[in-house]
Amino acid sequence: MTAFGRSFVVSCVRAWPWLVVLALTALLLMQRAAYPHIIAYPDAWTLPIAEAVNVVMDGIVAGAQGVTRAISGGLNVVFSGVQFFLTGAPWVVSVCLFALIAWQGGGWRLAALTVALLFYVLISGYWIPAMNTLSLVLVALPLSVLIGFGIGYLGYRSERARRIIMPMLDLMQTIPAFAYLIPILLLFGFGPVVGLIASVVFAVPPMVRNTILGFQRIPPAVLESARMSGCSRPQQFVWAEFPSAMPQMLIGVNQTTMAALSMVIIAAIIGGFEDIGWEVLSAMRKAQFGHSLLAGIVIVILAILLDRVSSAYAARQLPGASHVGLSLRRFALVLGAALGVAAVAALLLPALWVWPETRVFFPAQVINQATTDFLLAYGDVMAALKNSVQFYVLLPVKLGFERAIVPFTWGITFTPGMKTTYWIVTLICAAAAFGLNRWKTGVAILVMAGFFYFGATGLPWASVFLLITLVAFQVGGRRLALLAAGTVIYLLINGLWPQAMLSVYLCFVAVLMCIFFGGLIGIWAASSDTVSGIIRPINDMLQTLPQFVLLIPALMLFQVGDFTALLAIIAYAIVPMIRYTEHGLRSVPGTLIDAGLSCGCSSWQLFWQVRLPQSLPQILIGINQTVLYGLGMLVIAALVGTTGLGQAIYVALGEANAGAGLVAGLGMALIAMTADRILQAVIRKQN
Amino acid sequence: MFTNHKIRAALIAGAVAVSPAGAAVAADLGATDETIKLAINEWTGQHISTHIAGQMLQSMGYDVEYVTAGNYPQHTALADGDLHATLEVWTNNVGEIYPKMKEAGKIVDIGPLGLTTREGWMYPKHMEEVCPGLPDWEALVACKDALVTAETFPQGRILAYPADWGTRSADIIKSMALDYKAVPAGSEGALVAELKAADARKTPLVMMFWAPHWVFSEVDAGWVELPAYEPACATDPAWGPNPNATGDCGVEAPVTMKVAWSGFAEKWPAAFEVLQAYTLDTGEQEAMMKAIDQDGQAIEEVVAAWVEANGSVWKPWVEAATQ
Repeated sequence: MTAFGRSFVVSCVRAWPWLVVLALTALLLMQRAAYPHIIAYPDAWTLPIAEAVNVVMDGIVAGAQGVTRAISGGLNVVFSGVQFFLTGAPWVVSVCLFALIAWQGGGWRLAALTVALLFYVLISGYWIPAMNTLSLVLVALPLSVLIGFGIGYLGYRSERARRIIMPMLDLMQTIPAFAYLIPILLLFGFGPVVGLIASVVFAVPPMVRNTILGFQRIPPAVLESARMSGCSRPQQFVWAEFPSAMPQMLIGVNQTTMAALSMVIIAAIIGGFEDIGWEVLSAMRKAQFGHSLLAGIVIVILAILLDRVSSAYAARQLPGASHVGLSLRRFALVLGAALGVAAVAALLLPALWVWPETRVFFPAQVINQATTDFLLAYGDVMAALKNSVQFYVLLPVKLGFERAIVPFTWGITFTPGMKTTYWIVTLICAAAAFGLNRWKTGVAILVMAGFFYFGATGLPWASVFLLITLVAFQVGGRRLALLAAGTVIYLLINGLWPQAMLSVYLCFVAVLMCIFFGGLIGIWAASSDTVSGIIRPINDMLQTLPQFVLLIPALMLFQVGDFTALLAIIAYAIVPMIRYTEHGLRSVPGTLIDAGLSCGCSSWQLFWQVRLPQSLPQILIGINQTVLYGLGMLVIAALVGTTGLGQAIYVALGEANAGAGLVAGLGMALIAMTADRILQAVIRKQN
Repeated sequence: MFTNHKIRAALIAGAVAVSPAGAAVAADLGATDETIKLAINEWTGQHISTHIAGQMLQSMGYDVEYVTAGNYPQHTALADGDLHATLEVWTNNVGEIYPKMKEAGKIVDIGPLGLTTREGWMYPKHMEEVCPGLPDWEALVACKDALVTAETFPQGRILAYPADWGTRSADIIKSMALDYKAVPAGSEGALVAELKAADARKTPLVMMFWAPHWVFSEVDAGWVELPAYEPACATDPAWGPNPNATGDCGVEAPVTMKVAWSGFAEKWPAAFEVLQAYTLDTGEQEAMMKAIDQDGQAIEEVVAAWVEANGSVWKPWVEAATQ
């Protein structure tokens, strides 16, 4: 027997479970015309879980409403107080207050930035809505931090609690907020409190994670010396543990702030107070890009301010901080004096109390006109671009070559001869890979060829179930396989299979494109400081601007459909790919590069042989984040007419069907968690 | 989604139930020291309807507050008494909270707002050149090729309401046996954005839409003429162009309804009577929409001017309620 033949047999033996599954898939596909249920999961095999959830929910609502309404009454009082001050105070007093807080945390430069940004808010005419939004964040923040700290400390002290807490955190961060808005609405009643609770749910997890991490990372020496010096348990907590965990917890506070702000926009869907999210949504509804962009920038500004100020306070706690600020007493004195002066000034000059309308600058019509002009000038080019992506990328992945290649799209007919050639080439390539002792490549060739031939919506559900479980088992062992299998079964028995496959198809294409383009941009940014400097603020903007804003020009250019949704997902999910790629490449140790250079590497070789392999772990984390971000955007993508799990959640929201919403939301969360765990297992293998 | 018929039946039942209170007897002002909260939804027409009602109530000495509220969630607020009335509920798109709360007796219909509405397939005016024969629906059969797209090939594309608003377009396509596919738009913004873009670039588009809507002050549009709705169309397959299917006709014109919290009549009897009597003319609402959305005037001023000029319309309602 030749070496090739021997390797072929060895590969076959190693890949036997895969070959069995693939053979079974081929068998199922041959029978699909006779038995349509091979592709479409039979309705009779679904369980009425959503109905059951509704029954349980109704019980909970009836039983708990007394308590929850009391809580929401209390929260409303607190919120109204903050809101009353922020919207009622003269703007000059508020600006002074924020500037001084910034100055205390980060010095003159931060104070100047704060004032400049707040002046944009004033000039834009969105001061009151912005202050309403800020009130909500300022109430949600301490609540999230306290709850997060409590849960986190519990998780640190008790291993058993941690085992329950960790998966809960994943769910809280991956179930789309739209899915639990209705239950919150029923429990807590209409109003800003709904948004408050939703943002607390979403903002607590980073605080919990960082609290646990902070306490776990306390050096044992610190604890030992505390015990040696005779600390009681509470003393040990106050004097040793808490201060040591502080820096990490402050990172948590910063992330919690950003999370709370991002969720406040979602809350605007319920209404109840005139916040900036409502402005964005109203403009989105009218398809007024100018208005929504100008309102969206106000949100970006709030995000920048909250981020910078809370980071500054966090940095001050670190050893060796350059800026210390005043002592608390002196700061209170300065603050009191400055606010007093400002208040008197506002009393004397009404223009300092309420920003005069004549000083509002609102170029929305100019932006709208520019959008229309662009549309007229480049509409045809854009339509051509859309059609090529649609014909050559989206349709093949969605429907497979067998249904996507028709004269209307590719200009040719996919003849039986071509089909046979396709499969023969595939089999030869796979056999060659097997013979060269690369059975994984061979299996990948077979799976991908089948995927592109039949499309995400044309695969037998039983095969998808087996393949995913097998992948999970091979990279992560039995527990991961259980999660993957559970996810698929959950989607099947809830009748969510077709929607889930449509969501997976869209995310799959979006993630591939993010990896390709985001990777290229990241490489470019890593090689040039100028490019990096330009791209960073764009990334910040893409991540903090409400995603609704960019939907409008995308819709006008590309119409309702998957391509527009694809762009929306990419715009958001490409950011981590760019960031991690750049960061990974930039943090390759200089000694390694020097070593490569001294070996006579060309810059091309240096990139492929040294820098890329070295930064691979970072890049893989970027891919992982991109997958999660992409799945998170699916709900937003439903606003431009995609038909997947996102749409299922919207339909449930419209019907006030809490059960259906939660079931679909949980399905999305399970897909996200499975994808995340599989990728993490791959990353661990790489390291 | 509730069908139009169920809604109509419910409306009639609701109207009968409240009619005794509708008899014009001088009513108490009630709790004038407590603020009446009116819902502000996401569209300009509703803002106008609400502000007119608000200014009428204010003229009677009531304290009025406008509270933003989502179109579906507002009914939860009305049921709990967190909001007190909403003045322009489109019965073709109410979600499921509305019928549930009405059944539970927590919210009440207080009569139609009286707008002359229209719902159906609409197209930007240049479509009449692309597709000669429009507005007659049979033109759609002949010019299908102009409306074929990558997503819908080999069928033509009709842009439909978001999936959570029901399946009207798909139902009509099926009943009329047209070679088209309904593509759900995802949101009102998506519908409007497509219409604006198609109008600017003169590209083909047919979509489900409704009037009055502010967008018609920007875009010149026509309506596809389907066989007009009749109850027989929904029950008798023989009726209409397709002898094998029911529903082969346009949709019933939606009703715009005023809805209140169930405790409203008891707390503010006179205000309740005024809101019950309140109706608004479609043409006047459209003129005000244009002033606000196109000419950029403030809604308070536009509505105040209308209230000033139209005392003969609304003062009798107030007088009937208070004298």
